[in-house]
Amino acid sequence: MDYFILLTVSGIAIGVIYGLIGMGYALIFKATSVVNFAHGEIMMLISYMAFSIASSWTLPFWGLLLVCVFISAIVGLVIERVFIRPMLGQDVFSTVMVTIGLAVMIRAVVVLIWGADPLLLPTDIGDSGVEFGMVFLYTSQLYAIGLLAFCVLGMWVFLRFSRMGVAMRATAARETTALLMGINVTHVYAIAWAIAAVIAGISGVLLGTIYGLGPDLWTQGLRAFPAVILGGLDSVFGAAISGILIGVLENLSEGYIGQGLKEISGFLVILVVLMIRPYGLFGTPEIERV
Amino acid sequence: MLNVNNVQIVYDNVIEAVRDASLSVDEGQIVTLLGSNGAGKSTILKGISGVLYPEEGNIIGGTITLNGESLIGRKPDEIVRSGVVMVPEGRQLFEPLTVEENLMMGGITRSRSGATEALENVFDIFPRVKEKRSTIAGYLSGGEQQMVAIGRALMSSPRLLMLDEPSLGLAPQIIAEIFAAVSDLSKQKNVSVLLVEQNAELALSIASYAYIIENGRVVMDGPPDKLMDNEDVKEFYLGFSESGHRRNMRDVKHYKRRKRWLS
Ligand SMILES: Nc1ncnc2c1ncn2[C@@H]1O[C@H](COP(=O)(O)OP(=O)(O)OP(=O)(O)O)[C@@H](O)[C@H]1O
Ligand SMILES: [Mg+2]
Repeated sequence: MDYFILLTVSGIAIGVIYGLIGMGYALIFKATSVVNFAHGEIMMLISYMAFSIASSWTLPFWGLLLVCVFISAIVGLVIERVFIRPMLGQDVFSTVMVTIGLAVMIRAVVVLIWGADPLLLPTDIGDSGVEFGMVFLYTSQLYAIGLLAFCVLGMWVFLRFSRMGVAMRATAARETTALLMGINVTHVYAIAWAIAAVIAGISGVLLGTIYGLGPDLWTQGLRAFPAVILGGLDSVFGAAISGILIGVLENLSEGYIGQGLKEISGFLVILVVLMIRPYGLFGTPEIERV
Repeated sequence: MLNVNNVQIVYDNVIEAVRDASLSVDEGQIVTLLGSNGAGKSTILKGISGVLYPEEGNIIGGTITLNGESLIGRKPDEIVRSGVVMVPEGRQLFEPLTVEENLMMGGITRSRSGATEALENVFDIFPRVKEKRSTIAGYLSGGEQQMVAIGRALMSSPRLLMLDEPSLGLAPQIIAEIFAAVSDLSKQKNVSVLLVEQNAELALSIASYAYIIENGRVVMDGPPDKLMDNEDVKEFYLGFSESGHRRNMRDVKHYKRRKRWLS
């Protein structure tokens, strides 16, 4: 039983990061119908930027996070403006190809600037942690749980109560009508990219703090992908919950069945779930027609 | 106020949807545009609203002006701000949003307080919409949806309201209610209306001027009483033949008559 609890809790700790990464994918897909294959890379880029900032100035964790949130928003806006907006009017598939190209580019740029050696993201929370009975959680893991909760709440408030958030849902529902009503759809897209990049940035700083940096950090984006599919691709909150589910599942399958299964268990589960619910656990049923 | 002159519109650079359309709408006037399926009515409205580009549509000739200023090439949100708004065919509500959220999106070009004020106006015009304000729009009945769609367009306080087949699929009683509201808008608030309809009888009953479009060309225009006297209009749009009997769709005369006023 204790072993089960241990696996579950540490599964949640990694799952919340999958959840955060997944929210970013889902938001972009919901608002713009594009699967952003560069999401993991954007996350990696910002975690390396965080490394440079943290090595130049000694900032407390929250200070660093705040600076990175700001930088990520700019990174998101720039990427949208330079790579995505010119693709407006082209079919979605071409835009997806652009994100794949962007992903490869960012990987190269990161190695070029920061090198291929693993790095540590120096923060003031270091190796501190809290013990809950037999379960030990790093402070950074606790922060990750809190930050996911905060992002979910923030997204909910944004999408429900702000004009821009409602406009984003309206655009997702019917783009042409959104145009007809005078919604600035280009603006909506840009904001969606900015917010997704901010969420990527938060997950990047957390990953860097918990596991350190390496040029393969982008693979975490891939690892989080089952969460998005499981959640239903267009469900921002579904992605958050599914992230936790996948994290726990990976840990349990590794703990009880064996090494190696961890990497694929998420993908196995989505295969099964999608056979039963092609639009994911929380997605909109129409999605299956896409 | 609105002037459409010899407009030509193509889709995908080849499909000529509108070949030659000219029409105008004056301040406070209700003008109707009649025509059968595929005549090009919706395409003209989309051209005026600036939303042809997502469908690969292009205006390749003619002019569209509002109070002398060209609307061609302007962004849809600028066109809404200049006072022209459209209620699309089939209502096209934002289904997952609540009624109130739908309406507020219609007022997106205005300040928050302006939109809140407009919301009360819409509730005055359609009290039934107020009762449903927190309902998810996709769950409303067809009539309620049409009221929300019109209300949503009114949120921008338009000077020109364009309605694309508002009577489509609605019960006569609801249609009467909606048409009465539209008629009031033009009389009391001096809003101009460009009404696209398949139901010619209904449209001619509230319009002060009408255009008939066939295969992308405006083939006839005039005040309603003049058009209602026309044998062709009677036959094809009002559904009566010369002898006063309901026409037979397969009647050979159909084609001949059509020819007559095209030439
Ligand atoms: N997106 C599009 N791409 C290509 N052709 C189109 C497109 N939209 C409309 N058309 C064509 O343009 C012509 C005019 O269509 P339009 O929708 O304007 O007709 P309409 O008069 O509104 O008809 P209805 O009464 O059926 O709504 C039709 O022949 C139609 O097939
Ligand atoms: Mg039409």
